[in-house]
Amino acid sequence: MSNEYVTLAHGAGGKQTSELIEKVFKAHFANPQFTADDAAVLNIGTERLAFTTDGFVVSPIEFAGGNIGKLSVCGTVNDLACMGAKPLYMTCAFVIEEGFPLDKLEEIAAAMEKTADEAGVKIVAGDTKVAGKGQVDKVFITTTGIGRILDNARTSGAYAKPGDAVIVSGDVGRHGCTILLARDEFGIEADVSSDCAPLWNTVERMYQATDNIHVIRDATRGGVGTVLYEIAGQSGAGICLEAEKIPVADEVKGVCGMLGLEPLYLACEGRLVIFAPESEAEKIVSALRECPYSKNAAVIGRVTAENTGKVIMKTEIGAETLLPQPSGELLPRIC
Amino acid sequence: MSGKSGLQSAKDIITSYGGKPLRIMEVCGTHTHEIFRLGIRKILPPQIELISGPGCPVCVTPVGFIDEAVYLALEKDCEICTFGDLIRVPGTETSLAGARSKGAKIRTVYSPMDAVDYARENPDKQVVFLAVGFETTTPSACLAVEKAKSEGLQNFSVLGANKTMPNAYQVLKNSADAFLYPGHVNAITGTQICEDLCRQGVSGVVTGFTASELLTALAVTVTLAQKGEPFFRNCYPRVVKAEGNPAARKLVEKVMRPCDSEWRGLGVIPMSGLALKDEYGDFDARKKYNIPKIEGKPNPACRCGDVLQGKCKPSDCRVFGKVCTPQHPIGACMVSGEGACSAYYQYGT
Repeated sequence: MSNEYVTLAHGAGGKQTSELIEKVFKAHFANPQFTADDAAVLNIGTERLAFTTDGFVVSPIEFAGGNIGKLSVCGTVNDLACMGAKPLYMTCAFVIEEGFPLDKLEEIAAAMEKTADEAGVKIVAGDTKVAGKGQVDKVFITTTGIGRILDNARTSGAYAKPGDAVIVSGDVGRHGCTILLARDEFGIEADVSSDCAPLWNTVERMYQATDNIHVIRDATRGGVGTVLYEIAGQSGAGICLEAEKIPVADEVKGVCGMLGLEPLYLACEGRLVIFAPESEAEKIVSALRECPYSKNAAVIGRVTAENTGKVIMKTEIGAETLLPQPSGELLPRIC
Repeated sequence: MSGKSGLQSAKDIITSYGGKPLRIMEVCGTHTHEIFRLGIRKILPPQIELISGPGCPVCVTPVGFIDEAVYLALEKDCEICTFGDLIRVPGTETSLAGARSKGAKIRTVYSPMDAVDYARENPDKQVVFLAVGFETTTPSACLAVEKAKSEGLQNFSVLGANKTMPNAYQVLKNSADAFLYPGHVNAITGTQICEDLCRQGVSGVVTGFTASELLTALAVTVTLAQKGEPFFRNCYPRVVKAEGNPAARKLVEKVMRPCDSEWRGLGVIPMSGLALKDEYGDFDARKKYNIPKIEGKPNPACRCGDVLQGKCKPSDCRVFGKVCTPQHPIGACMVSGEGACSAYYQYGT
């Protein structure tokens, strides 16, 4: 690796990110608790805890539907929620650029307070660093969280089984589309806001409906498409989607059409991807539709024994074709 | 035909085709992309072969053009403004991405006017816009030049490789039994050119971009092809009018003149390109910077040229998928998402 360098693609949450983790971090950190899931599972005494951390560098720091503060709480709350864990405590570390307005910092903290309250999590410790002008872009936040895993929750990216229904908790690609437009590089205006939301209450409601759930993931940087490929790989199964069942807001569809993007690969910050036996799908979808952030929940496909490791799309003309994986740079600094 | 039932009956006509073997070339890169996305090849009977033609502007841009842009960036210290797809296209020695790592300034823009705005805001920089594309994109490049001229901008110029389709069809006409004509090009040119081709024995239908428009165009093609007579139909009437867009053509005629043009893989096609007229010479980067004649040399293993003429499939090329991938493209058809090689690779064909 002597002549290799870190590229933006290494931070895009896709194939190159996994390779970097595998080559560098796993090589040095490997231990029995080290995980590729959203959070590590720790058995301490009689407690089963989930433990996770996440850095936030989104640009711009404010966007329709949220700001970097709200995002930083949602990210960690959702990583815990995806393990079936009730978020208990969080810490946060700020790296702030010299000259950053205090009232903006206050807005960020207020958004964090409000989001943490909603998720029922307490922010109990933190760290503050200031870097010289230009050494960091405005503000970067890292949050770490710990949660108690529900007794009846047993999920992992490796548990998807042929016959499972694939469910998304709402329309896809909103956060990525919002950030894209907020950067104003394209001169396109559309009424889109981020789906950024804390999802613990949603997951809890789902577990009240059934505990027969195989996989829960929150789709972040690489969007729902990247999550599906990860699960297909980890579970050694195939996934077949029905193009017409995938919920996409008209505005997101329009922007993607103009820019040649696939909504399934645009980032989300408040969307769950759930794998559960077909028999549970209806219960889960109706439970999700009762919750405020998942009113458009839908079954979008199923797990197959064939096409292992692949995501197949049944298109609107009834043909089955591979969902291509994105390559190279996705959009940097999306979260 | 409309809605689901129209789509279904078009699909039935195509899938039940039992006539002679048919080679149909889709000329537009966006068609190539949509045909793959929808999985249209998967429903075709074995007698029907779809060939991806030279309709992606990035794919037909010759190696020498990239070399010229690299020269301007590295030797003349120009700041290059370009559509993103061109950045990774290999030149003889290097791509623009490679030049960037040596310090060249390369900016992605989404419209030629962005480059004019950038030049105005940065009077200390020499800005060069890389103008590629067909009848559809050329008017916006002309508009940018007009704007720069009216503002008297001294630091903006254009390195052009704009192309026009009519004479390219003459080169391609024996590569396929019928063409799916690029709807957006015909929206500008109108349909006279297709009718002329039909009189010369070249068949084709003007084609739109939705699932039902693509299937309708294919259904019409396979139906008419069985009659054995040359044919032309406009299957995209909601957008393409017989007269096209005269205002856009007038603008292009004002700013540019026809010239011979090199197409990657097809060689020089007479009068198939557009160059700035003499009165806009101040905005022609080739004149402004006295670019020496550069003979671009494509990688000899790359078969993009054969792919663009339907002489081979991407998978027949020996570098395809091995050393040539979307991450490390050797040929232009692997760079653009609309390129045939990239589509074959991404969709695992």
